[in-house]
Amino acid sequence: MILKEKIEEVAKLMRIELDDHVVYLDRVQKMIEYFDILDEADVESEKLSVQELPIKNLREDKHIPYEERIIDTLKNYKGNYIRAPKMI
Amino acid sequence: MNLAISGLKYIEEIKNGNYTIEEFVSKTLEQIQKLDGKLHAFLSLNDKAIDQAKKLDKKIQKNEKIGACFGMPISIKDNICVKGTKTTCASKMLEDFVAPYEATVISKLKSEDAIIIGKTNMDEFAMGLTTEFSAFGPSRNPWNHDYVPGGSSGGSAVAVRALECVASLGSDTGGSVRNPASFCSVVGYKPTYGLVSRYGLISYANSIEQIGPLTRTVEDLAFILNIISGIDDKDNTTVDNKNEDYLSEIDAGVEGKKIGIIKEMIGDGADKEVVSATNNAVKKFENLGAKCEEISLDMVDYSVAAYYTISATEAGSNLARYDNLRYGFDFPLEGFEFNSYISKARKNFGPEVTRRLIVGGFVPSAGFAGKYFLKALKVKSKLTAEVNEAFKKVDLLLAPTVPICPFKLGEKIDDPIALFLIDFNTVTANLTGKPAISIPFELSDGLPIGIQLLAKSMHDKALLQAAYALQNTVHLPEIQL
Amino acid sequence: MTKIGLEIHCQLTNLESKLFCTCRANYRGYEPNTNVCPICMGLPGTLPLLNQKAVEKATTIAMALNCKTPEKLAFFRKNYFYPDLPKNFQITQLNVYGPTSIGLEGKVLVDEKEIRILRIQLEEDPGRLIYEGSSEKTQITLVDYNRAGTPLVEIVTEPDFENPKQVRLFLNMLSDLLENLSVSDPELEGAIRADVNVSIQGGKRVEIKNIGSFHDLEKAIHFEITRQESLAARNIQIIQETRHWDEQRKITISARRKEEELEYRYFLEGDIPWILIDSQTLDRLKNDMPESIISKKERYISKYKIPSQVAEVLSSDKFYSDMFEQVRDETNVKDVANIITTDLMGLVDTKEKRENSKLTPQHLVELVNAIKSNKITRTAAKIALKEIVKSGKTLSDVISELDLVHVSDASELTRIIDQVLSEEIIAVEQAKTNPDTINYLIGKVMQKTKGNADPKLTLSIIQKKIQT
Repeated sequence: MILKEKIEEVAKLMRIELDDHVVYLDRVQKMIEYFDILDEADVESEKLSVQELPIKNLREDKHIPYEERIIDTLKNYKGNYIRAPKMI
Repeated sequence: MNLAISGLKYIEEIKNGNYTIEEFVSKTLEQIQKLDGKLHAFLSLNDKAIDQAKKLDKKIQKNEKIGACFGMPISIKDNICVKGTKTTCASKMLEDFVAPYEATVISKLKSEDAIIIGKTNMDEFAMGLTTEFSAFGPSRNPWNHDYVPGGSSGGSAVAVRALECVASLGSDTGGSVRNPASFCSVVGYKPTYGLVSRYGLISYANSIEQIGPLTRTVEDLAFILNIISGIDDKDNTTVDNKNEDYLSEIDAGVEGKKIGIIKEMIGDGADKEVVSATNNAVKKFENLGAKCEEISLDMVDYSVAAYYTISATEAGSNLARYDNLRYGFDFPLEGFEFNSYISKARKNFGPEVTRRLIVGGFVPSAGFAGKYFLKALKVKSKLTAEVNEAFKKVDLLLAPTVPICPFKLGEKIDDPIALFLIDFNTVTANLTGKPAISIPFELSDGLPIGIQLLAKSMHDKALLQAAYALQNTVHLPEIQL
Repeated sequence: MTKIGLEIHCQLTNLESKLFCTCRANYRGYEPNTNVCPICMGLPGTLPLLNQKAVEKATTIAMALNCKTPEKLAFFRKNYFYPDLPKNFQITQLNVYGPTSIGLEGKVLVDEKEIRILRIQLEEDPGRLIYEGSSEKTQITLVDYNRAGTPLVEIVTEPDFENPKQVRLFLNMLSDLLENLSVSDPELEGAIRADVNVSIQGGKRVEIKNIGSFHDLEKAIHFEITRQESLAARNIQIIQETRHWDEQRKITISARRKEEELEYRYFLEGDIPWILIDSQTLDRLKNDMPESIISKKERYISKYKIPSQVAEVLSSDKFYSDMFEQVRDETNVKDVANIITTDLMGLVDTKEKRENSKLTPQHLVELVNAIKSNKITRTAAKIALKEIVKSGKTLSDVISELDLVHVSDASELTRIIDQVLSEEIIAVEQAKTNPDTINYLIGKVMQKTKGNADPKLTLSIIQKKIQT
């Protein structure tokens, strides 16, 4: 059983403030408990299958400037800087 | 003029001058005006659609070259970037986000003179399978407004079925195109992983998802796939399909083909109406000259757990960028410290997204990754090996798209495990990268049931040929709109 | 025993574009947030597009540090929230599913000591934060993403260093090596940065971050060893922690990071397939690698008979060794080496001076020839070199403008000496009995010829004149 304190800790790690614990913690707990079924799968010796790409197919090292000023399409800026809240 | 025609028929009508693009687009907009208050398939409309139609009509008048779509009105799921328009992912988090660039699929459609008619409703960030998790209200099933249209590309399926567009692009992470296609009775497609560029698709679980079309016929689907597929230098995961033509030889038939029926997908969890429809589909394939046999895939029983573990982990990372600093909604940052600000801002995610983000923080975390995330990756690998093995024996795999019949709004929204199991038949194609299609097959109590086919990677053409053969055996009653 | 390990971040400043997009790799000198695009700003729907040359250059570094280079490379996401990270995760590399980082298990000799390289990984640099207002009570943070996505090679060593001197020698060696490979310009601000971990006998490992310069790095290590030793002397436990270097006070301060901050949820980056590096590519990279500094030095000593110290200076600096290789021929190696390591060095010892220098290899060839053929003296050559570096004028122009021509023509010199002797009658008389006075007379001749008189010839003429 996954403790709700642990789930709350993870919510904090994911930077989400929670205010309705029933809607979140109870259901998250149920979801994770369902995943316990994975323990029954006989996969211990399994190797990962991955997509592969030869190095020659990678992008050429070339500078191509972006034609628009991205900053103008964004928010929270001061002059040319993006603003963020203070850091502790 | 009849809106209830296929895309290919539409092109023929325009070519023959039976009506203008403007006439068809206006009629489509009228249809949206008339129905969308109830159905809520759209989140935003293209207010320049008529102007664009007029321009194309002029081109035709002047005998100028025009793209293959001839102004076909196509709708786009609201998680695909269309330059200069709002792309919200049906989330309050991106309520004001205007995409500053074009997704590759949109560039390709536009260069063939498709008209983007509007952006369709969805479950927030594509997390859901009923479209009830849209932050802007649910879409409704056009066959019966009390029922969910499926999801997460619910708006796209509704719009295509309700004649609010000719075709639509959705995205399929665990069944998000095929599920609503099945519930609304349209054709829905999840291409081979890498066949269609994801550049401009807002990621949910990037290692398994693909953009896929929703259409009223299999031929239309092949037509759209011809346009949007192919290697893209903006997406390192795309593969070269050598400009395959999916429409030519679509009537090749299934004579002599071997089809495996996935046993686990018509097991205890499946509704009897769905099982009976599946048996009927098998009979039809046998009548068409295919050989059908039952096949077992052991890992399917763990596929939903593996899918949610992997998708939540990737979502937890993909959605981390929504900290409301560079784009997002209006929420002043003065007086806040960084972490408290973004934790408050991220309360704007809806409840299902929030739950999955927490799950996505938990399952790959130190101390739990071995039990959950790594196991899930291994299930994914073993499932892929099993499916590859099956494809040595058979050409195609068959299963109902969704194990249960469409259900009412609100019926399952509070039961996360019940919702999980609705994905039982669709996630295998995503976890293994295989192409899969849902074909409208039957109506039960006036609600649609779809049949799903899977093929080997990069055998999309053979898959569409089989789907076409099945489609031609199906004659459903007209929908009352 | 003291154990010191390093985590060094080197930007691949010589690339044209960033690691995952086509913005400039060298972001310096541009208005904030103008060297950005949807990809490096992490806008929704964008995907990383890996730079081929970044993989190649990073692999070259791994080869130069004698690392194993895997056939398949994998990229991972390191997840944490920070305003300088546009995606709130960093794309980096690990070796958790077998060897998949750019390089691993290397070793280099520094001051006779073997330093093992644990891992080399290719990753993206974050943006830069500027704190508005005083640092203590900052109200707002400003972010410039021009740097975000710059290709970064992280070199992680085993804790094999025993003292700050070894660290310094290693970092100097590494700077020279990166420059020699033409992958990075270590002179650029922030191009090479290092974190360090220090532990003393019986104590836990302490990491120090935020160190601005190599100079401060040495100080930080000294401070940390002293701090840990004084704790140990008082029987206080040394805890495992991360500390920050306080540049003003020159001390390390506990960063007091919370437990949760260490949770990075690493997992595979699905947007980048595993990259296959075939053996032909590896062979090509190996063949194209410039000669190593050590091999250059040995060649200079054995082939050209250049003294070891001169060879050391010449080989470790790419600017000098390139110049040397372009100018030298069989007849002049020693002279060229001398001119570069004595006269030229003071003139082009900073990046700025090198960039502004107008000196071409052709200039140096002419200069060496002029000395050899007695056209000018060594002293005059030094003056000419200074002028050429500044103005780029031809040697002959400089000689005539500054009147540097070597007065070795006996009749011309005799004329000047006659003049001096007629003006210095008393000295001439003294010189007949006191040889030291001859030096005074030579000095006078030099004054008149601005140092261009051949000293030997001058002496012999004066001696003859006085004796007759």
